[in-house]
Amino acid sequence: MNQKQPAPESHALDPEVWVDQHGDYLYRFALARIKDPTVAEDLVQETFLAALGARKNFESRSAVRTWLTAILKHKIVDYFRKNSKEQAREDIEAIGEAIDSLFDNTGQWKIRPGKWYVNPMKIYEQKEFLEILYKCLAKLPERLANAFILREMEELSTEEICKALKVTATNSWVMLYRARMKLRGCLEMNWFNSKA
Amino acid sequence: MMKHWMFNCKSVTQILSESMDRDLPIHHRVLIRMHLLMCKYCARFNHQLLVIREVCRSEEMMPGDSDDKRVLPKEACERIKQSLQKPS
Repeated sequence: MNQKQPAPESHALDPEVWVDQHGDYLYRFALARIKDPTVAEDLVQETFLAALGARKNFESRSAVRTWLTAILKHKIVDYFRKNSKEQAREDIEAIGEAIDSLFDNTGQWKIRPGKWYVNPMKIYEQKEFLEILYKCLAKLPERLANAFILREMEELSTEEICKALKVTATNSWVMLYRARMKLRGCLEMNWFNSKA
Repeated sequence: MMKHWMFNCKSVTQILSESMDRDLPIHHRVLIRMHLLMCKYCARFNHQLLVIREVCRSEEMMPGDSDDKRVLPKEACERIKQSLQKPS
């Protein structure tokens, strides 16, 4: 019988190994979104602690790094949410009304989308864009932000989102619509207009 | 008389958003495409949703950026390891 044990399996769930293998990556990931290095360190620490607590639920359905990154993304949004001067007071219904106000009563644009001249895929523009994106996400009601993160960042399917958030498919599409509308408006106001 | 949703930008934005989360029936796709040809604001809107998605989904690559050599400071590394050992 072959006694050889593949090492990575036993290491995969060892938190200290996580720090060595993914610490730098997560730190840079956080620094690309948050300017303050000490905050970035703290968020990385919180990420590892949260991962330690949730280790049992990790079914190696994804790579450890992907899983840790997903936790970190939530931590970054939480950080901006807690430190945002204008706390998100709007509930989900109010966002529906805010969307209505973008259109006239025949459904035509009243506040028209502007032209985005910049290309946020360029690396030097991306960093600033990402920070604004996270700040805008933090202004969304938590449930909408979560739906958005699961769909657009973690690329979950409708089915998976419904399971995670305990909503119907139709519900999830409405939530994502509201999140996208709000986020698009926030980005246009804070990023694209400042560049025009 | 109620106009068809195809002429209603608000309905079109809802359906455009939905099209990013599920496959639309073929007739919806045709009507949406026709609307986008006629309406530059909805076309912009659609492009912007795609830009947002592209950025969100590509960001994974960023930390690998070759000119980014920053590493987690040693002290932080040790502190984190210690905090992981404490049963809290």
